Amino acid sequence: MAKPIQAMKIYIGAENSISPLGKTAESNFEAIKKGISGIKWHTKVGFDQKDLYLSKIKDISFEQNSHRFDDLLQECSLSTLQQLNTEIIQSPKTIIIVSSTKGNINLLQNQAKERHSLLKSAEKIQQKFKATHFPLIVSNACISGVAAINIAHQLIENKLYHNALVVGADIISPFVLWGFQSLFAISNAPCLPFDKNRKGITMGEGAASVFISKNKALFKTKPMQLLGGVSTNDANHISGPSRTGEGLYRAIQKTMQKHTIENKQIDFISAHGTATNYNDEMESIAFYRLGMQDVALNSLKGFYGHTLGAAGLIETAMTLQSMRHQTLIKSKGYTTQGTSHQLNILQQNKKQEIHIALKTASGFGGCNAALLLKNEL
Amino acid sequence: MKHKISAYCKIKNNQCWVNQDLMLTHQNQEQSFAKELYQKLNIKYPKFYKMDILAKYAFLSSEIVLQKQKTLHQYNDNQVALLFCNSNSSTLTDLKYQKSILNKKPSPSPSLFVYTLPNISLGEVAIRNKWYGENLFFIHPHFDIAFLYQYAKILLQSHKACIIAWIDIKNDEKDVLLLSVEPTQADEVNSLLFNKKNLKKIYTQ
Repeated sequence: MAKPIQAMKIYIGAENSISPLGKTAESNFEAIKKGISGIKWHTKVGFDQKDLYLSKIKDISFEQNSHRFDDLLQECSLSTLQQLNTEIIQSPKTIIIVSSTKGNINLLQNQAKERHSLLKSAEKIQQKFKATHFPLIVSNACISGVAAINIAHQLIENKLYHNALVVGADIISPFVLWGFQSLFAISNAPCLPFDKNRKGITMGEGAASVFISKNKALFKTKPMQLLGGVSTNDANHISGPSRTGEGLYRAIQKTMQKHTIENKQIDFISAHGTATNYNDEMESIAFYRLGMQDVALNSLKGFYGHTLGAAGLIETAMTLQSMRHQTLIKSKGYTTQGTSHQLNILQQNKKQEIHIALKTASGFGGCNAALLLKNEL
Repeated sequence: MKHKISAYCKIKNNQCWVNQDLMLTHQNQEQSFAKELYQKLNIKYPKFYKMDILAKYAFLSSEIVLQKQKTLHQYNDNQVALLFCNSNSSTLTDLKYQKSILNKKPSPSPSLFVYTLPNISLGEVAIRNKWYGENLFFIHPHFDIAFLYQYAKILLQSHKACIIAWIDIKNDEKDVLLLSVEPTQADEVNSLLFNKKNLKKIYTQ
C-alpha cells in the first residue's frame, strides 16, 4: 500500500502594512487596538470639489509623488523581506505576486501613458529586489488581495515555487474616487460596516505584504499556517452582489471542505464589510446560511476605508496580528444590527485565542474569495 | 488525467477563426467587428450592447467556443474554471472613462467606470453561463504559455473543465484566443492534447 501523502504545510507571516495608521504591521495593529481610524475629512477632493471622508496617507514621502504607488509596493515589501533573510527574494524558487485594481492610474493622463500600467510597476519591483522571475499580477477587483494569497498557496502546494512575496496596494485617485461617487456608493460620513445607518463606502489607500513559504525556518517570527482557499463567481450581476450570497457561500464552503474544517472550528471571521447596503446584507446572508452567525466577526473598513486591491492583504495582515496578540479588534462603526440576519459583530476588543480564522472578500464582477489561517499550537 | 483543447476561438487581424476554420472576416467598416460577430452568432442577449470592448470579446469568443463544443454545457455550475489574462488590462475603457471625467459633462460615467476593471469580462462570461467556479484575471507581459499551462492544470484538479482566455485590446488591435480544456475520453483518438506545444501552436498559427 502506498503511504498516505502528508499534505504540505504552507506558512504565512512577515506581514507588513503601510497605511494612514502606520508603516509597520505592529504600529497599524497598535492604532486599531486603540480604536484610531485613518478616516479624516478632506476638502475639495471629490467630483465638483465636494468635501469627503477619506483614509489617505499623509506621510510626506508618499504625498503628491508621481511614483506613490510604486513606492508603496516597494517600501512595504522591503519591510516584509527584512523580517526574513532578504536574499530569499532572489531565489529562482521565489515568486512575487502583485495585487492591485488600478495601480498608477493617476498617471494615465500623463504623456508617458505606459507608465500607468501594472506591468511597469511589476518590472520596477523585480528590478529593485533583483528577483529571478517577472512578478505575477492579479487584478480581480476587490478580491485581488485574498486571491493573490490563494494563488501563492496553489503555486507552492503544486511545487512550482517554494516561496512567494505577496504585496498589494491601491491609491486614492480622482479616477476611482469620482467613479464611486458616480455610482452613489460613497458615504457622507465615515463608513459604518454592517450598521443600520450605513450609507456606503469610504475610500482608503494603503499597502500590505506577506511572505508565504513551505519552509517555516525562514521566518524570524513565528508564522501561521495558511490554508489556502478558492475564488467563486456569483454568476449574477457585474456590479451588484448576489441577493442570496451564493458566491460567497460557495467560496467559504469549498475552502472549508478543502481543508476538512467545520464551521464550529472557526474562531474569528475577518469579513469584507464595505458598508454598502447590498454588500453587507449579502455577507450576512452567506454567513447565516453557513451557520456562522455566532462567530466573532469584524470589518476593518471603519479604520482603513476601502483600499480595494490592498484590502484583502491589509485585513489578512491584521488578522495575523490578532492571532499573535490573541486580541480581536472591534468592528469600528458598528452599533446597531443593520442586516436581516444578526451576526456576532465585535463591538469591543476581545482577548481571545484564535486557532482558526476565516478571511473573505467580494468584489465587482461578482467575484468572491476566502482563505483560512491556522495558529499551530 | 489527460486533457485536451476541445475547441478554440481566435480573433486577430480582422479575422475570426474557430478551431482551424475561418468563421468571419471583418468587411463592413461601417460596423464594428464585434457587432458583426454578434449578429453572426444569431443569439439574443441585449446585455451585449452594454458591455465594454474587453467584455464584448470575452463574451463573443466564449459563445463561439460554446456553440462549437456542446459538451461544455454538460458540466455542473461548479465545474468550469475561468483563467483570463491580457497585457493591456482595461486601458481602452480607462481612457474613455477618463474623458468622461475630464469633460465633467455631465459627470463621470458610472456605466463606463464599472468596466474599468479587467475581471468584469470574467463576470460577464460567468453570468451568461451560470458558472460559479474559480475566476481569476492576470496581467502578463505576453501570452505566457508556461504559466497558463501550469495554472490551468492546477485548476483542473478541482474543476472538470477550464476556459483559458487571452483577450488583449489595444486601440484597433485585437488579440484574442479563448480555448476550452476538457478531459479526454478513454476511446478518443486524434484529439488536440492540452500541452505547452499545442498551446503555442494555436496561439502562433
